[in-house]
Amino acid sequence: MNLQELQTDFQRIILDAECAGANWISESAQGLSSQDRLAIYHNAYRVRLIDVLMDAFEHTAAYLGDDWFHQLASAYVQSHNSTHNDIGLYGQEFPRFLAEQFADDKEVAELAFLDWKLRRAFDGADSSVMTHDHLAQIANMEPQSCSLKPVPTLNLCTHHFNTLDIWHAINKDEHPPVVELLPQPVDVLIWRKGHSPHFRSLSTIESAAITFVCSGHTLNAIGAKLEKNFPDADVAKEFGRMLHRWIDDHLLTFNL
Amino acid sequence: MTFGFGLGLRTQHYNDFLDVPQPVDWLEVISDNYMVDGGKPLAILDRIRADYPMAMHGVSLSIGSINGLDKDYLKRLKTLEQRVEPMWVSDHLCWTGAHGRKLHDLMPLPFTGEALTVVARNVCQAQEALQRPLVLENVSSYLEFATSEMTEWEFLTGICQATGCKLLLDINNIYVSAFNHGFSPADFINGVPVDSVIQFHLAGHQDNGSHLIDTHDHPVCDGVWGLYEQALKHFGDVPTMVERDDNIPPLTELLDELDTARTIADNVVHPQVAI
Repeated sequence: MNLQELQTDFQRIILDAECAGANWISESAQGLSSQDRLAIYHNAYRVRLIDVLMDAFEHTAAYLGDDWFHQLASAYVQSHNSTHNDIGLYGQEFPRFLAEQFADDKEVAELAFLDWKLRRAFDGADSSVMTHDHLAQIANMEPQSCSLKPVPTLNLCTHHFNTLDIWHAINKDEHPPVVELLPQPVDVLIWRKGHSPHFRSLSTIESAAITFVCSGHTLNAIGAKLEKNFPDADVAKEFGRMLHRWIDDHLLTFNL
Repeated sequence: MTFGFGLGLRTQHYNDFLDVPQPVDWLEVISDNYMVDGGKPLAILDRIRADYPMAMHGVSLSIGSINGLDKDYLKRLKTLEQRVEPMWVSDHLCWTGAHGRKLHDLMPLPFTGEALTVVARNVCQAQEALQRPLVLENVSSYLEFATSEMTEWEFLTGICQATGCKLLLDINNIYVSAFNHGFSPADFINGVPVDSVIQFHLAGHQDNGSHLIDTHDHPVCDGVWGLYEQALKHFGDVPTMVERDDNIPPLTELLDELDTARTIADNVVHPQVAI
């Protein structure tokens, strides 16, 4: 058996649900059978990946309870091979997996997605944060050609349930509230400020404005689109207020 | 030149190192934990690096992979190496996955001529990318291969001779593998070329009676301290660190273990002669 065949077969045994035997293991007089020796690697693979999921989806695990979460994580590990060198990325598909498992309890996937995006924001790319002085410079530029750039850790997601309340309660070690469908979906902004991941819910006009910023629209174009989509709003005042908050929140990056 | 005694930097001890100077000569960082795009890990790394020499220690290079090295991983490793300017860059003599899949474990290699050729090819690729000798660590293992043609120490020696790479000897891993496979740890130590070894790891393990598991979550046991003494007698004054990966205790406990290592090394390498 050459090295390629050996690594292929060893990996197959590790990834299979049942730990099969192998005839390429040297039988040893020391303590363990070859089957038990293989089982050490077979088990370690699962323990390590489940631990990673427990760590990345801390609030989701607390919401479901350790035993239930462990069962789901085990099923995920068995059905999803890791393809990332960075073990921290292993949970990328876990929120989607939970959405399939909990078709009637969609707050679980919302909570998992929030956990995941907060974790990704933690070590996401750095950037030069826009300041109020930078904004003053922009004000002197041509607004029809000037656009804003979001920080690379910025993400948006939509919640249909009171998932933020559930997250906050778990984060304070309190009993989470009963799940409720929101009167209307709410967009949630996730990003990193300094070293800390943050999130907050958005009004519909702020969500639209940030979406336009992320799409690379110029300031003039954003203003025009907001005027069109929110005819009852004082867009100039609202947009100015939002810009200042975005700068205070470190949501925008600046590169002249 | 000696680099003295170091510790593995762990997040639980960030503030200990940021707040006041600690009695360590250097720190070892897990390369993979800092091969990220940004944020707190890199910011803290930069601050602590300003005060301590560092060695980089990786877990995912997969130097024994039949599929060759992951070029993107190597590129990110090089980027971190340029940022940290470490004393050296190490990883494990193992493979961590095949055909694009990752097992996130230090999988053992058969000690064959074919495997030696594969590892040597990959080591040369890594050394060319890093523009420095790679340092390889022996791993703990729980099985041996029927196809093996040589001992682990003969395999290590062959790789050093073929590539000029250096060795990080994990004394605990020698102890664990020797117990699990029934070889003499002294044979391992005596079989490794003295001038290839540039670092020792000391760690704890879990004793399951019939076998030992390399958990790195216990204090260093008496047997490993004894083997460390033997290693010092054979290799001389080698930079040594205590490595704890789980059940991380307060820093003071690890500093106490490091003091034990200092005392043993002092007695072996610089013995007091009675006049």
